[in-house]
Amino acid sequence: MRQIVVRQIGEGHPFRLGMMSRSSTMSMAFLPRSERQPKLSTLSGHYCKLSTMGRRQHENPFTLASCSVGDMAEGPQTAWSGANLMVSTEALAAAALRQAPALQDVTVHLVRPGEPVRITNVLDAVIPDVKAAHPQSTFPGVLGGLTPAGHGETTRLDGVAVLPVCDWTAAGLTSPGEFPSAFVDMAGPGQAMTAWGDRAAVVVCCTPRPGAAVGDADRSVRMASLQVARLLAESASGRVPDAVESFELAGQADEALPSVAVILQVASEGTLTDTFLYGGALIGMVPTLVDHREILDGALTSGAYDWPAVRNLTAFYQDNALIRALTAAHGSTLRFAGVILALGYLDTAAEKQRSAMLAARLAAQAGADGVICTTFSSGNSHTDTMLTVRACAERGLGTVAIVAETDSGLTDHVPEADSIISTGNTDELVRAWSPGKVIGGSGSAMAGEPVPLYCYLGACVQTGDMALTAVPG
Amino acid sequence: MLITALPTIAQMTGMNRILRGVSITTPTGDESLAAGDELALRTRIVARALSLLATDVAPGTVWELTP
Amino acid sequence: MIVVHYLNQFFAGLGGEEAAGLEPARMAGAVGPGRGLAAAGLPVDTTLSCGDNFFAEHEARALSQLLQWLDEIGPDVLVCGPAFGSGRYGYACGSLAREAGRRGIPVVCAMTPDNPGVLAASGSAYIVPTGPNVAAMRKALPAVASLARRLGEGEPVGTAAEDGYLPRGARTNVRVARLGAERAVAAMLARLAGQPGTEIEPGRDRVPPPQPIADPAASTIALVTESGCVPAGNPDRLPTRHADVWLRYPVGGVTSLDAGSYESVHAGFDTRAANADPNRLVPLDAVRALEREGRLGGVHEYFYTTSGVDTPVAAAARFGQEIAAVLVSTGVQAVILTGT
Repeated sequence: MRQIVVRQIGEGHPFRLGMMSRSSTMSMAFLPRSERQPKLSTLSGHYCKLSTMGRRQHENPFTLASCSVGDMAEGPQTAWSGANLMVSTEALAAAALRQAPALQDVTVHLVRPGEPVRITNVLDAVIPDVKAAHPQSTFPGVLGGLTPAGHGETTRLDGVAVLPVCDWTAAGLTSPGEFPSAFVDMAGPGQAMTAWGDRAAVVVCCTPRPGAAVGDADRSVRMASLQVARLLAESASGRVPDAVESFELAGQADEALPSVAVILQVASEGTLTDTFLYGGALIGMVPTLVDHREILDGALTSGAYDWPAVRNLTAFYQDNALIRALTAAHGSTLRFAGVILALGYLDTAAEKQRSAMLAARLAAQAGADGVICTTFSSGNSHTDTMLTVRACAERGLGTVAIVAETDSGLTDHVPEADSIISTGNTDELVRAWSPGKVIGGSGSAMAGEPVPLYCYLGACVQTGDMALTAVPG
Repeated sequence: MLITALPTIAQMTGMNRILRGVSITTPTGDESLAAGDELALRTRIVARALSLLATDVAPGTVWELTP
Repeated sequence: MIVVHYLNQFFAGLGGEEAAGLEPARMAGAVGPGRGLAAAGLPVDTTLSCGDNFFAEHEARALSQLLQWLDEIGPDVLVCGPAFGSGRYGYACGSLAREAGRRGIPVVCAMTPDNPGVLAASGSAYIVPTGPNVAAMRKALPAVASLARRLGEGEPVGTAAEDGYLPRGARTNVRVARLGAERAVAAMLARLAGQPGTEIEPGRDRVPPPQPIADPAASTIALVTESGCVPAGNPDRLPTRHADVWLRYPVGGVTSLDAGSYESVHAGFDTRAANADPNRLVPLDAVRALEREGRLGGVHEYFYTTSGVDTPVAAAARFGQEIAAVLVSTGVQAVILTGT
């Protein structure tokens, strides 16, 4: 593995697209730390009772208790034997179907890493979680009752992912080619392309009832997969966890440390392209602060099925590398100012600019010196990212943007975006593979053909949860 | 010249004369207007586009519909 | 593995400058530097050559013949040159590489980094950088042979830095030690300390603004769109995404694009509003209104269309050049392009 070096502006390499000339970033250079006045968050000043950032939760702090799964196997019931987990795929399927009135069938398959299987029509990846004290509040607002996430203990299974699968086109609910193929390969050259090839996959294959409305079918699919995720995690109740983590931010971090916020781009463009916050789609949302612990604890779920490689999967909210990195660094190299949800794919330039302005304003109010701006999926959402970078720069906030590339380069760019993390080129082809078995519908399984990376689930996610990047080639 | 609701992308790709369109899905239309009003809007858009074509510009110039 | 090697007249042993007008020729086996390739582990099946001047002056004919031979032979890999600093030779190598690349043939060239052949190759070839003259031959051939052998056998090639070729303008994926999020936090701390760094630098490819048209009332304009607007039923099957063609449809005598007669097949946006009134994508009714009022001289007889989703930049640039060539030849002065 090559160690990527974050290059300085002006460092040349002779590729055809040319070098950016020395930018005007020096006008945005920041004061040396010694000269900088520490910024107090206006929110913590004015809303001290409501603010959850930087303050200890005296009641019921969020803890994540993880149980590592060794081997998985199918069996007559779901039960542990040492570190190994046996699952009854039939029982899981039956329980899932009970939550899914708009589905005519749910079938659950267990696939282990290394098996020559291509899983197709993959909609999402979900990590098995359950609220230890109140299982019925798991994934609140969707599967669970409406209750604030990010409190109390959550039991998680490590080493297994739930993968909901549904062939919308075969069900007559989308047109052919409306969404690119979505793969997880458990062996072969594509195995390493997703995060799911190295752990057991519990595949929840859903078939909508003929005549079901697409929104009802989608809701049922999501309920089915979240139910399976919860049941798997419930199997570990009473077990001693292998790791217990908390994500509290120590109260009195050194105020000379720079303060960093995340503007987490999400999108809701309608059924099959939605993101859910406590079960509600986000159309019309203005930029909103959420607690990082809510995100880790199931408040955000995905119902967005376009562009597999750059989807924010539910699992990437549950286990979020940016939140982990910023929480870990809080108090030592930075202060974690919080997470702001903001929409991408807004339909007009005015709406895009307004949202960017409001997101930057909220970041400034939260006391941020710098903002990491993530991107959701492909296409004009990249304009939302770049406008957000510009709006932050106009307020004197330093930005880092996270985007994926295509063969045509960056989808959009503004001169203020002079610090960009690339999550890879989604157009690069992965070598052809002929799987021994296809689960999820063989229609567009592309067996024996090279596969563009954009078909691999989460491969280039623009929240930075993968380790891929692109270099001149 | 280009009529688009995404002038920053157009500027990035090197487009020089750009007129901001109504929306991504209807660059030269607005379904919230009555038919007669919408045609009048569209005629103003095209007239503005012609005006931009007849104007000397710096690279990457973006015009709004109303001056 | 079948290897074809392209040389100019000089390296093919057919003569010097006096032979630069020679037409394309085909020879069995390795010739001249091709023997060096064979010695480096890359046996050459067929050698093609062309005079540098002939190629420069009759490019279409030269390419046509060379490509015809390539189609007959069906090589696994094509090697062109080394051309070193020779501009005409390098240009021929790069142009042949570009066209062979379009046929899916992997190509390796070798020349100096600022040889015009590098641009001519348009990112299609793996170009080994060399010194300016034949003294660099000994060093170049093993590098060319090694790269060509791997390409011919379908083995993956590493990044430009790893495998010693000029960056092709492509972006190649590599797996690195740190997650994107960790690199983002590191980059943020670096920028807050006054040292911003980036993993992507944007490109430059600029055309200066053309002169304005003198008077719209005396001008003919054409309508072009990437909105995927086509006659209802998409009779010529314009692709809904990753289009590799543009189409055109007559608008002579047509005063409006009526719902039901036209539709959008673009896969990248919700086409409902546009299909209810296709003038919302291609503003023909408004253009006709201005024409009737005398504020516009005239409208070209066709509108031009493609689906601008998932379109490679190289393809889009080609569409623009091809459409522009047609419009210029018919006396159109300006284009109104609509984008979604």
